[in-house]
Amino acid sequence: MKILIADDDAVSRRLLEKTLEREGYEVLAVENGRLALAQLSLPDGPRLALLDWMMPGMDGPGVCAEIREQTGRPYVHVVLVTSRGTKRDIVAGLDAGADDYLTKPWDPAELTARLLVGQRILQLEDRLVEARETMRFKATHDALTSLFNRGVIVDLLARELSRTRRENGSTVVMLGDLDHFKNVNDTCGHVVGDEVLRETARRLLASVRSYDLVGRYGGEEFLIVLNNCDASQAILRAEQVRNGIASLPVQTQRGPIPITMSLGVLASRDWNLHLVEEVLSEADSALYRAKADGRNCIRFAKPSALCGAMEPLVRT
Amino acid sequence: MTQQGDPPSRGAVGVVDLLARVENDHDLLCKLIRMSKEGHPRVMQSLQHPVACRDIKNVEATSHSLKGMLSELSAKQATATASRLEQMAREEERLDLANLLARLESEVAGLLTQLDG
Repeated sequence: MKILIADDDAVSRRLLEKTLEREGYEVLAVENGRLALAQLSLPDGPRLALLDWMMPGMDGPGVCAEIREQTGRPYVHVVLVTSRGTKRDIVAGLDAGADDYLTKPWDPAELTARLLVGQRILQLEDRLVEARETMRFKATHDALTSLFNRGVIVDLLARELSRTRRENGSTVVMLGDLDHFKNVNDTCGHVVGDEVLRETARRLLASVRSYDLVGRYGGEEFLIVLNNCDASQAILRAEQVRNGIASLPVQTQRGPIPITMSLGVLASRDWNLHLVEEVLSEADSALYRAKADGRNCIRFAKPSALCGAMEPLVRT
Repeated sequence: MTQQGDPPSRGAVGVVDLLARVENDHDLLCKLIRMSKEGHPRVMQSLQHPVACRDIKNVEATSHSLKGMLSELSAKQATATASRLEQMAREEERLDLANLLARLESEVAGLLTQLDG
């Protein structure tokens, strides 16, 4: 495990370094607080730190305080090592954010034991973070496909529409529905149906850009939000999605199953819609027309005044 | 606590303690001694000016650093003297700073002599 030592005294630094190397730590030693802070702020910086109290430039408690201000990075366990040993000093050090305190001259066995405590705390913290992230993922993603769930994808769409309006840009919204999916469930069973849904999700993600948003909107319905995309690109992008689904049958435990998707598409710039529900309603109407027109096709939702300007690929 | 006027101890460095701290690593011990012999005179020198002009803030900071350095060598008596100097500076007792510095210089000189041996 990586550990940082910050001490302006070369003898103290060397002694600590050697002791910790013997214990198997990967030691990084620096001579002042600023360098310590720089190392601890790196994305893969050490998560255990032994800081001298008094150092030129920035002292140990100062480094602690700065580290504790940083959010969104793994916790750093900080031990202050100093010859300041009064109760008032200890309280001040802990108040600044230190986790533990050792007075000079430190005892090697005590040092090692305290660092093991630090490691245990970090491991516990890692497990808590992992559990929190798992909970967060479960709360925001669909369990079967791992796509965003309905609540999240609709929220993200609302946010994207709002940003688009503010920046006078355009967002493309696609509502896709697997054709005849009920037949798959009815004839092959729900387990195979689940396989088809998982593969559909994978193909949808593969057919959009990394920063586009894909969510499971309902049973076999999917919502795709393309940022910074206007009507002129929408048809091509929708065709990529449709073709990505239809090009190959899905390999399942019951053999290959051909699947297709109908899509209702809408470019936000063409509409003066302010509510996400209105946008979804128009996309849904276009999807309904795609279904009515024979499925495995794209229908573009445009206000009636713009209908004459459609590309030949689709009808509105 | 060390009293002013006491003679410096002959055994300025606690050799047994120090060897235990380096876990009987003689190479490391030699290296630390070499580093101490280079570093201590410089720090002692940097104490002289603040003591002479009674710049207690710097006396406190430098004697604190020295205290840490000396404690790493298990030099208990010199550590105690440096600690007393730091405490006097913190409490703004300016009168005896020079005397205590002289004592500390003598103890550190004894320490360096012992390290030479």
